[in-house]
Amino acid sequence: MARPPLDGIRIADFTWVWAGPYCTLQLAHLGADVIRIETKTRPCVTRMLPPFPDAKPGGLNRSGYFNQYNQGKRSLTLNFKDPEAHEVARRLIAKSDVVINNFAFGVMDKMGFGYEAVRKIKSDIIMISLTGYGDTGPFRDYIAYGPAQVPLSGLSALTGYRGWPPMHAGFSYADPNAGVHGAFAILTALYHRKKTGQGQYIDMSQWECAMGMLAEGILDYTMNGIEPDRIGNEDPLMAPHGVYRCLDRPDKVMGVVVDQFVAIAVADDAEFARFAHAIGKTDLANDAKFSTLKARKANEGELNRIVEEWTVTRAAADSARVLQESGVAAAVVADNRFLSEEDPHLKERGYFVYKEHPEVGVRQHCGIPWKLSRTESAVRAAAPGIGQHTDEVMTQVLGYNADDIVRLRAQGALT
Amino acid sequence: MAGALSSLKILEIGEMASAPYASKLMADMGAEVIKVERPGRGDPSRLRGPFPGGQPHPEKSGLFLYLNTNKLGVTLDIARTEGFEILEKLVAEADVLIHNVWPPDMDRVGLNFDRLHAINPRLVMTSITPYGLTGPYRNLRAEDLTIWSAGGLCVLNGAGPDHPEMPPLKTFGHQAGYQGGVHGAVATMGAVMAQLRDGEGQQVDVSCQEAAASQLELTFEYWPYMKVIATRLGKKPIQPLEAMQCKDGWIYLCCVEEHQWKAFVDLMGNPEWAGEEIFADRLKRGENWEALVIFLEEYVKEQTVLDLYKKAQAKRIPFAPVSTMGDLLKSEHLKARGFFVEIAQPVAGTHKYPGAPLKYGATPWEIRLPAPTLGQHNGEIFGKRLGLSEAKLNELKRMGVI
Repeated sequence: MARPPLDGIRIADFTWVWAGPYCTLQLAHLGADVIRIETKTRPCVTRMLPPFPDAKPGGLNRSGYFNQYNQGKRSLTLNFKDPEAHEVARRLIAKSDVVINNFAFGVMDKMGFGYEAVRKIKSDIIMISLTGYGDTGPFRDYIAYGPAQVPLSGLSALTGYRGWPPMHAGFSYADPNAGVHGAFAILTALYHRKKTGQGQYIDMSQWECAMGMLAEGILDYTMNGIEPDRIGNEDPLMAPHGVYRCLDRPDKVMGVVVDQFVAIAVADDAEFARFAHAIGKTDLANDAKFSTLKARKANEGELNRIVEEWTVTRAAADSARVLQESGVAAAVVADNRFLSEEDPHLKERGYFVYKEHPEVGVRQHCGIPWKLSRTESAVRAAAPGIGQHTDEVMTQVLGYNADDIVRLRAQGALT
Repeated sequence: MAGALSSLKILEIGEMASAPYASKLMADMGAEVIKVERPGRGDPSRLRGPFPGGQPHPEKSGLFLYLNTNKLGVTLDIARTEGFEILEKLVAEADVLIHNVWPPDMDRVGLNFDRLHAINPRLVMTSITPYGLTGPYRNLRAEDLTIWSAGGLCVLNGAGPDHPEMPPLKTFGHQAGYQGGVHGAVATMGAVMAQLRDGEGQQVDVSCQEAAASQLELTFEYWPYMKVIATRLGKKPIQPLEAMQCKDGWIYLCCVEEHQWKAFVDLMGNPEWAGEEIFADRLKRGENWEALVIFLEEYVKEQTVLDLYKKAQAKRIPFAPVSTMGDLLKSEHLKARGFFVEIAQPVAGTHKYPGAPLKYGATPWEIRLPAPTLGQHNGEIFGKRLGLSEAKLNELKRMGVI
């Protein structure tokens, strides 16, 4: 295999929490040398969030959350209260191709690492800030937390059961969405730099990035002045189209029954005929109440009850298999246990990553959602312990010697 | 100044959201994208709407118009020998092919990397498919709902522990497709960087299921680390983190840090109940949410959304409105940033669309062309670019190949 695409590209990674680390994770997946600049006085909040092995916190290196989104990166710990830590960071920027942060607007400027300052250190640097609201506009100083960005984006107003209030996405969707768009932007800027030698600054608003994901809702308003109804799991052009209850699993987790569901989407009349046959009700396809999409949409409540009468008597995986054998789109509504232990497909594709980590041992982590045929694409190492690579980066990348490191550590610049 | 990708040539065989979104991202950054659609019906997103006046029309679908800006459109039946031959000519000129042809259909028409790589060794071929090009689910049927479910995201959303009877809830729209698309765009750009370096192409196999699973945040790791299942029924450990109704709409209350809660209590005028022991810290507020919600609703229902939002943000409390579409279009912030853009398309008319996801300092994001009408650029691409004669084009048209 040839070297990974971003081999030789270095990222000075000032990010934390989720959006930023998800951005730099994509670049690490492509082979970039991502060096996280961390502080022990204010460690990344995800180092302190569960899950921890066996539910036992302790130290800063045991969080499954941090360990997921920082695979393949290095960690350098600095203490910015000491002026020489700034010099170390400047040297790192001088040796980097890209500077990334997702602090609130203005924080990098205050630290002395705004774009103008950074450009003086390295003239062709690419810099991106993934802020909640962007670098301009009257709300640029507003604070954005992951969970609130989903409703802010407009996605909540469009998501929900019929007749119910607006709902969430169930996770802080705007964060990874911003991160992956940020990674795309950096790659395009690297391409441009390769062609022209020119670096640049990229201003990213997580809010704006998320609105690109709901254009159909926005366009219904701009074309027709309509605030679209929330339609739950329905689809205007498919029926049945929903998430249906299946047989509970016989085992309990932490004393609680975990309910099970199968997702089913029937695209057209021919598929509906196959579906009806698969659930043992071939006549449905000839029933005027269900034989056309229009009829199925008009009688969707009754149709959904018929579907669920069938699904509720069998295991989710069994329903999905039977329907797929008839050429109907169906899938288990997978939870983390199912993905981890039972999904045969992800296992065979080698999606999961198992790397030795000094404090949590070998744990299963989500891997890279793509495969490249010619260049290496594999997670290189487990997430770094805090400051794990300080000495290595100081000597190998930044040209400090062992005495410098002792001195800087003694005076508190390195932690 | 031209866009960052203005020297990149992309061929797209895409339908609905995933591959079209990947190549839209690149087209809007300056790449030339030729989009190949099936003769006759074209990309099914042409049927999805929303449509002006609610009247379905293949040239007026909002989803299609949004996802296909800046692209040149041709029609070509690649399942026919004559069609595939023309595709090969287009591939010879392209840096990148991005497609989301379903794997069994790839097999049927012979669309595979080895065959195209033989024509163009520099070609990056990106296949964005529901489950990827390998593994036992490769050929499974899929729609956005089933991929979002198979990726483990759908199970996280719902009405919470008080309503176990309500099923897991799909997030609006085509999120599995969009995420397959943007993750695919990242992987494609990686392969393009390697192409610039080595002069060689490669195959990029993107799984939409895996793109979804990659965003599971901490929830996936709850199983390998703690043997805990994360679902919609989990109770939020800390509160408030909920939407609540104001006089004129909904606001999302968000107090993660203690100082944010204290500032909110201050904003509410330091009511007596806030001093109760059961609300003393964020974990207790989580445990006693049923009690807390009554007090908070009392306050919030008397407020207006924008006013409470601004007052809270002035105190560094990260509340946000539950924005309606109208709120987004009216937002003074988004207006000041010029987020929405007007795009005129000859059949559909002029409408406002979501604009640049990112603002580049040196290279513009810009709309040079509206989405193509079906086969709009057949003459330009097949005739002028590939040199097919008018007689040949007419023959291909009669045969239904273009």
